Amino acid sequence: MPLGDLEREVMTQLWGSAGPLSVRQVHEAIRGRDLAYTTVMTVLDRLAKKGVVNRERDGRAWLYAPVQTREQMTAGLMMDALEDTPDQDAALAHFVGRLSPEALAAAIEAARRQG
Amino acid sequence: MTALLLGALGLFLSLVAPGLLAAARWPDRAPAPAVVLWQAITLAGVLCALGVVLAGPEELIRAADGNRRVASAALVAALAVAAVIVLRLLVSLGGVMWRSRARRARHRLLVDLLDRAEQRHGLDVEGLRVLDGAQPLAYCVAGRSPRVVLTGGALDVLNTTQIAAVVAHEQAHLRHRHELVRESFTAFYQAVPRPLRSRAPLDAVRLLLEMVADDAAARRSGGDAVRGALTLLSDDSAGAGRDRRLSRLADQQPRSVALSVIVLVGAVALLVLPTLVVVVPWLSVAVSNWPL
Repeated sequence: MPLGDLEREVMTQLWGSAGPLSVRQVHEAIRGRDLAYTTVMTVLDRLAKKGVVNRERDGRAWLYAPVQTREQMTAGLMMDALEDTPDQDAALAHFVGRLSPEALAAAIEAARRQG
Repeated sequence: MTALLLGALGLFLSLVAPGLLAAARWPDRAPAPAVVLWQAITLAGVLCALGVVLAGPEELIRAADGNRRVASAALVAALAVAAVIVLRLLVSLGGVMWRSRARRARHRLLVDLLDRAEQRHGLDVEGLRVLDGAQPLAYCVAGRSPRVVLTGGALDVLNTTQIAAVVAHEQAHLRHRHELVRESFTAFYQAVPRPLRSRAPLDAVRLLLEMVADDAAARRSGGDAVRGALTLLSDDSAGAGRDRRLSRLADQQPRSVALSVIVLVGAVALLVLPTLVVVVPWLSVAVSNWPL
């Protein structure tokens, strides 16, 4: 499995869980893919370095949790895609023209409600 | 005389021409050449400013028959001011490109993690990512490994042909490196001192680039599909730009070859003629009196 897909799969597990997960728990959840334990550990470490998951120590094990919920991160991403002022170097071209603030709020609200 | 001519042309290019071009509707029929014309106007304006800075002091001193030491001091000062102008532009461009790249890299990282691969509906598009969300939205993230992003909401409201049109539109942005054009105009905007800067070129160019991408999408999927997608993906808040895009897509012949040629010739002339007519004669005189 390509590394990108693996990262996405691990994030899906973390987002789907009620609380922080250890490497072993994540490994068990996606075990069907014949993955080495150390691979999962590496992926979680990379995700922590990228600042998308938090890591905290619980006894001898590390526990991992997403920094934001899936909905929060999606809403933030949409804001970033739509935000377009020349003072902020925006350069994400999009199909529609600029959305109004109301439409933007609706986008965020819609992103929050889902999932 | 040289400095006066260049100054007048520079003022025209930076204060009058942008307003005229932004208000004109003919660029809708030749969007890509119109972008080139915007670039030529901006660049020629900068060159005029540099010309004034370099030629002005030299001409004044030559007219006043000043001594050699004054002449060399003036030349050094003029070169320094010109260097500051060029540096400011380059630093601004570098900063905008650097920050845009960082922002897009971060965006790409997050969109890859949030991708709902199972919702791609068998769409075979390089770098396609699907986001959760009811708001119909489509955009692209440029870069070495580009992404085309659609929301679930967009996939829900668009039919297959319209989805293909949207994807073709975004791929046109990526293929033609439109982000570089936008970054250069953003950099110019930020480099100009606040009281003098204008959003007009930036907004006009952005709309023209959308039209260029619309045309590419229309060639692939037909103008009706692009119109349909544009109508479904935006609401009235998208404003006059959307209406202009819609009305030109309804046209049988949205683009005019003759107009394109004229505009391109005009853009080249704008850069070449002032140099040939004004700068070269001045240089030949100025260099013969070179004080350093």
